[in-house]
Amino acid sequence: MAEKFKLNAHETETLIFSRRMIVAGVFIFALLSILIAWMVYLQIFRYDYFAARSDGNRLHSQYVSPNRGLIYDRNGELMADNRPIFNLTVVRETAADLNASLEMLRSVINLSDDDIEQYRTRQSRRAVPHTSVPVRYQLTEEEIASIAVNQHLLPGFAVEAQLVRHYPYREIAAHALGYVSEINKEELVEMSEEQASNYRGTNQIGKTGIEKTYEDLLHGRVGYETVEKNNRGQVMRVLDRTDPVPGRDIVLHMDSYLQAVAESALGEHRGAVVAIDPATGGVLAMVSKPGYDPNLFVTGISRAQLSELNKTGHTPLFNRAIASRVPGSTIKPFIGLGGLYHGVITPETVIIDPGYYRLPGRSRPYYDWTWWVDKSGHGAIDLRRAIYQSCNTYFYGLAVEMGIDRIHDYLLTFGFGANDAIDIPEASAGIVPSTAWKQENRGEVWYAGETPYEGIGNGIFQATTLQMAAAAAAIANHGVLKQPRMLRGTIGNDGEITDVIFEDTAASKQLLPSPEQVELVRNAMVEVINKPYDPEHRRHEGSAYPTLRDSGRPLEYPMAGKSGTAQVVQFQVDSAGNRDESEVPEEFRTHAMFIAFDASAQSRIAVAVFVENGGGGGSVAFPVARAVLDAYLLPRTETFDEVSALGSNAQ
Amino acid sequence: MATISRQLSNNFYRLSNGPGAIWQSFRVDTPLVFFLFCLASFGLMVLFSASGENISDVRSQAAAIVVAFVVMLVVAQLDVHFFRRGAPLMFAGGCGLMIVVLFFGAETNGAKAWLDLPGLPRFQPAEIEKFLVPMLLAWYLSTRSLPPRFKDLLICGVIIALPVGLILMQNDTGTALMVMMSGVFVILLAGISWRIVIAGVAALAMASPAWWIFVAQPHQKNRILTFFDPYRDPTGAGYNIIQSQIAIGSGGVQGKGWLNGAQSQLDFIPESNTDFILAVLAEEFGLLGVLFLIALYVAVIGRGFFIALTAQDTFSRLLAGSIVLTFFFYAFVNMAMVSGLMPVVGLPLPLVSKGGTSIVTLMLGFGILMSIQTHKRVLPR
Repeated sequence: MAEKFKLNAHETETLIFSRRMIVAGVFIFALLSILIAWMVYLQIFRYDYFAARSDGNRLHSQYVSPNRGLIYDRNGELMADNRPIFNLTVVRETAADLNASLEMLRSVINLSDDDIEQYRTRQSRRAVPHTSVPVRYQLTEEEIASIAVNQHLLPGFAVEAQLVRHYPYREIAAHALGYVSEINKEELVEMSEEQASNYRGTNQIGKTGIEKTYEDLLHGRVGYETVEKNNRGQVMRVLDRTDPVPGRDIVLHMDSYLQAVAESALGEHRGAVVAIDPATGGVLAMVSKPGYDPNLFVTGISRAQLSELNKTGHTPLFNRAIASRVPGSTIKPFIGLGGLYHGVITPETVIIDPGYYRLPGRSRPYYDWTWWVDKSGHGAIDLRRAIYQSCNTYFYGLAVEMGIDRIHDYLLTFGFGANDAIDIPEASAGIVPSTAWKQENRGEVWYAGETPYEGIGNGIFQATTLQMAAAAAAIANHGVLKQPRMLRGTIGNDGEITDVIFEDTAASKQLLPSPEQVELVRNAMVEVINKPYDPEHRRHEGSAYPTLRDSGRPLEYPMAGKSGTAQVVQFQVDSAGNRDESEVPEEFRTHAMFIAFDASAQSRIAVAVFVENGGGGGSVAFPVARAVLDAYLLPRTETFDEVSALGSNAQ
Repeated sequence: MATISRQLSNNFYRLSNGPGAIWQSFRVDTPLVFFLFCLASFGLMVLFSASGENISDVRSQAAAIVVAFVVMLVVAQLDVHFFRRGAPLMFAGGCGLMIVVLFFGAETNGAKAWLDLPGLPRFQPAEIEKFLVPMLLAWYLSTRSLPPRFKDLLICGVIIALPVGLILMQNDTGTALMVMMSGVFVILLAGISWRIVIAGVAALAMASPAWWIFVAQPHQKNRILTFFDPYRDPTGAGYNIIQSQIAIGSGGVQGKGWLNGAQSQLDFIPESNTDFILAVLAEEFGLLGVLFLIALYVAVIGRGFFIALTAQDTFSRLLAGSIVLTFFFYAFVNMAMVSGLMPVVGLPLPLVSKGGTSIVTLMLGFGILMSIQTHKRVLPR
């Protein structure tokens, strides 16, 4: 082209530049076209996808835990409520470097290895991603402030308020109420899909006692909400919400005042007390000592706290009230009723007691307690006196004449040998031996020589304190047994109590002799306590009368009872392995038992007392039973706080 | 062609020493000022939303914009020949400043590139190299005949390499790349043979595996791997780009409305008020907003093209062309990276992203452009 037009240098350069600018313009046009096409692709063709992603980013479904139902006693005293606490929680997905943050937190708040280990367990069983998991419960004000100051260093961490279970009475009724604690994997696995989904918003579940039995009632239904969260997981607003249904408030038959009295009456002894309303079967008190503070378990007990609890070796977590024991002589009234029912004896049947019993054709003597006193017996004795004098010889013979299988069948009808309680599933069934039972459980035949011991409750037979109380209540109720129950009713939204009606099958099974004969046994039990010394006749006073007389306070109401003493050594032989061996060498003192009831026509209370290594039933267990009856039947002179303070001082 | 363009630009001829009112002697290119004003205003609006309705952020950005406009208008009053004559001296001064930075510079984000002089806002000398390099190249090439000879190209290479090397020593790869590109644009516009360009591109392509193996640092490799598959580390390296694409895509055609971008307002977009501000814009104003922004950029670039094409001498042309192309390069790279078309490079969106230094530097460039436009003389035919 240089030949045709001789352009000057200036115009050549302009032309070169202009061409290059045009090329640049084309490039710019092409690049911008690609960019715009890409934007159109993103914003139009993939709009639905990205819009959904955006919603998924910010919208989160979360569960709203229902408030747990409250537990009231029969007088409207609150025994379990909910209290707000502040927890440190973390959303794993949002936390940048979890381990570094946890390490940092150690210097900010009180966070132990134990806490971190517990957190990791919780984290591992969390079912829903992007939800918060508690790291530490119950932050103090100072800790909340320290966390706030360091919040920028702790992405994903937050302080959340939560309502948790609180037991204002602490040790009192701890075993009966039970406690809630963190739900564990096993519990989740056992649940149905639907049940498990109900626990998505909850960390806690009832573990023992009422809390466990009435979990379904107390827990309520989980709610849901859709919330908008920012990239740090903070909730910006709530878009949609299905309210949770709070758990039902429930009312127990329990009387917390009576409960506190029973606990303080036991003093420093280990043991159990159960009081029952004979007319309804309602459990008025259920004590097991030593006790524990159930509040420790609510947010997870630390190893240190647990070992502190267990260091005495007296198993405070163990509910002695529903553990089976050899009942000693407290079984005698029931054996007597059995004898009358089967016609083996009549009220007029008199035997001669030389101080011991011998099986026909055998030489081995079974001694009466009198033999150990002065090598003599009761002489001529009928059922009535055999009960209030607690004559062993009479009941050795009666048991042998009834035979073990008839004893077995008869005792079953009084609620022994099975857990008859309606809503205490943790209770032991006890043992009512029979020839079949022995063959099955011990692989041995029944020896005739074992039968006499069953007559005085120092054989194989075992019953729980709860069963003894229920059986005593049956005699108090003129022979009619009511199944024990804890729950009285539920409270509706209007605050009205709706009584719960349970199907009660115990009374229909019962095998009762004539009403007159039942009254004879009942009256004999009144004489156990009330029959004074007879100057004319030796050994005609009630077995618990000396203790009543020595107390210096006459009874202000008719009281009936029966003492019992279980030999520890024999106990050990009969059920070896059932018991902590380390406890045996401590003392070979006997266990003291007492069953008692209000002996008025309309009996209002029956009680069973078991004092571990307490000594004699009449001297040790009787005062406890009397204190409980006094507290229930007489006008209350002390306030609850005074009684419960006594209880906690004794601890 | 030259004739036509000269006629078109006739209206804008001024006699530099001619008599008239003060207003007449005030040199300003109205269309450019108008488009830049629109851009800056739109940018402020987006920034208000992107910074979480933080008034003080917007206020300081507005102050920077005012300063930048003043700088631009002041620079526009300088005769373009002042730049031509001063180019070597300014270049030397710029290199000197960067050497000072190497010893006394302040460090931010791993780059020791800032100068803290008492009484002055902190600034980065490397930024102005984007104009000093093309200025010196234009000065050098305007004294030679175009297209440049091989020897000229070597000298141009040295002129580019010197400041780029200094900037790399400051550990600021992004700026180094921009300065290099501003120089490369001059050479391209000067009419370098296409054969050399193609050979250069081919050489780069062949050298890239070697770069990948021997030179590239882990974070650079990571960025490139993330570009090809953001989901290889969705909560780490890929997080920015994933969230940014979600924001852009969920904006749709019309957007979610100003201050209503869920991604933006809930802090899902990192760097939402600086490098990734386009994501906020695209989410809240949708495709229409993006097109509006691109249109404003195109208007500015179009006006710049016009100025470059109608410039009267080689120096002005090359300098103007380089400034315009650098500006486009800036805007395009940012938009492409935020939308996932390119690996992430730390570059702000011109005139929209928060950052006073960036705006003042950009407007300095437009001041030079305006000076070129407003200091034309009637040439003797």
